Amino acid sequence: MTGVIQRVQRMTLSAWSVYLPGVPLGDALGDALGDAASRAISGEWARQDAPPPEQAGAVLGRKGLLYKEPATRLALCAVHRALGLEPGRRPDWPVDPRTAVVAASNLGNVETVAKITRAVTAEGRRAVSVLDAPNASSNIVASTAALWFRFGGPNVMICSGATAGADALRLAGVLLRARRADRVVVVGAEPADEVAAALQAVGSGARQSPLRSGAACLLLQAEPPAEPPADDVEFPQTYGDDVTSSQNRRRAVVELLPEGVPWPREPRSTVGSSGFDPVARWGYCYGAQGVVAVALAAHLAVDERHGVVGVADPGDPSASGARALVSTFEGWST
Amino acid sequence: MAALIAASAIRTCLGDGSQTFARLLRGECGVGPLRQGDQDKLNVFAGYHVDLGVDLGVDLGDLVAGPDDPNRPFRAGTLLAAVVAEAARQAGLDVLSGRQRVVALVGTGLRELAAVEDWTLGGPAFPVERLHFGDVVRSALPGVADVVTISNACSAGGHALALAQDLVESGEADAVLACGADTMTQSMLVMIGHVASGRTERVRPFDRDRDGVLLGDGAAAVVVVPPSWPGPASGPASGSVLGRLVATGLSCDAHHETAPDIEGICRSMRDAHDRADRDPSAVDLVVAHGTGTALNDPAECEALRKVLLGAGGAPLVTAVKGAVGHTSGSAALVNVDVALRCLTTGLVPPVAGLREVLDEGIGLRFVTGQPVPAGPTLVQVNAFGFGGVNAVTLLEAA
Repeated sequence: MTGVIQRVQRMTLSAWSVYLPGVPLGDALGDALGDAASRAISGEWARQDAPPPEQAGAVLGRKGLLYKEPATRLALCAVHRALGLEPGRRPDWPVDPRTAVVAASNLGNVETVAKITRAVTAEGRRAVSVLDAPNASSNIVASTAALWFRFGGPNVMICSGATAGADALRLAGVLLRARRADRVVVVGAEPADEVAAALQAVGSGARQSPLRSGAACLLLQAEPPAEPPADDVEFPQTYGDDVTSSQNRRRAVVELLPEGVPWPREPRSTVGSSGFDPVARWGYCYGAQGVVAVALAAHLAVDERHGVVGVADPGDPSASGARALVSTFEGWST
Repeated sequence: MAALIAASAIRTCLGDGSQTFARLLRGECGVGPLRQGDQDKLNVFAGYHVDLGVDLGVDLGDLVAGPDDPNRPFRAGTLLAAVVAEAARQAGLDVLSGRQRVVALVGTGLRELAAVEDWTLGGPAFPVERLHFGDVVRSALPGVADVVTISNACSAGGHALALAQDLVESGEADAVLACGADTMTQSMLVMIGHVASGRTERVRPFDRDRDGVLLGDGAAAVVVVPPSWPGPASGPASGSVLGRLVATGLSCDAHHETAPDIEGICRSMRDAHDRADRDPSAVDLVVAHGTGTALNDPAECEALRKVLLGAGGAPLVTAVKGAVGHTSGSAALVNVDVALRCLTTGLVPPVAGLREVLDEGIGLRFVTGQPVPAGPTLVQVNAFGFGGVNAVTLLEAA
């Protein structure tokens, strides 16, 4: 990731979500922001519960979740929240060929693969359900997000380890600049099941905090114009009436920064090992961590009015220089 | 805009690119007994395996699998290392001096999940980073600026190729290796065994009596460069480019988890033609996806009829999976290698295993029996994957 970006790359961030079951985001952020526990966190999503994967129906609706793995459910919940859909609302809009999906996950299907392997070795194919067939393919998170939300544009699944989230952000920019899509849904998700945790414990990630089950989503559009864009280009309006108007005002600019380039504007706060460190506080979302970090930075920049927030080491604290800056439009244009 | 292809290297059960093409022209089939897992339990009895006794030309230490045991994991990375090293040599890439910024995008369906299966059954633990291909590519091509593993099922290589062209056209890289690598996992084999209508002895693309797909080991690396490519920086390469990468169209069906959708497939074809600014009727050869499954082949035929024949085209159609199996993440790039050889030799190999064309293929000019000296000028390469991920590439002579 870090070796590739040669110049600052900008995208418009139309909406975002962080979905970490078991983490009381509102309280955790309130503490981190140095205010009392009573402090009200501004972003509505930060006050919402994140039901665990087995209760994803509370977010997504009950139907269609059979044989969906935890990482897939987490990813769907994160996209659902980023789109600002009502609980249980199943998208029914026409397939949109101009919205792409770039997903980041490494361990989403390892538990299923292990389960199938044990079953087929012990008892043969009759012990294996054909309904698990899609899960044997590692692109299940990306393709399910497209199927569920009817995104018909390019669909890309990144499984590149710790940098997967950061790679997904960069490739989202590539798709936008090549005009392969008008909108890109970047979603990162990792499970923390026994198989995933055991595998991750042997990698260099073992130096990190324990694996954390979670997801995050970013809705991206092409580089913003010099002036803040008119209202009619906002992302979520494509997706029906139940996207709230407050959602439409929450916009930011993401700048991916090459190694060694100074911050274009001085950030008021940073997400990463040198500032608010979600890995140290909540655990390590591995391939999704880069997406979690940028979504958190957007929350701080917009909802908490920090204006300009840096992301240092969004994916892997050992990958120095993988940096981004998230700014409000006001913060960006001044 | 367009990009050029400076080099291409593949490994299939029929050998390297030159050997594979020669044997395709002869109508050979590389199928053999399945060497992985328990055939009866999987209900899969045949496969298109590559013998790993490859000379990598680089020392990868314990990053790669040994030559002998097909159940040993990390075989995909071993094959990948071989083609990356070969393609880099062929293109004369100058990576170490820092004068060229070279990126690798590796498309794969199953990554190294075979290692997870091996570990599940009592095999050794391994660093989690070995699930993807960063370390292997960095070892085979020291100095590469970046490696991204793209897990896009059976069209992964086509997606890597699309993004490779985007990176080169925007100037973000001087050269991109679009790669593909896949061997087999028991968890995917058993799903194939589950849905097979009978005991599949070999893949018969577009045949009326086809009875399912079989997997093939495979790897591919294609070096994508801009039109301003100065030629090889060093080494024995000839300096000539292999062909012009006109465009790759992408789409996602957003229709079904595993079944293909004609409309989604048509969108990827139209995207390729639109990006290339070519009329669909100009396509005179299709190297088809052609998996020999109940669902893919009719859907692919319908889409070809709709988009190409509907525009007045009359292309020849060939397919390689009857000869080399379904090489999954490398399938698109294996097809690209074959397409480039069709462009340079003028010869189009027959579809191995095709006896009688399925009903939906009536009107399409399948090449059967003998190669055809057709001299194609614009070749369309199809790749479709689980989850409805589609990539359609257009190639022409440089």
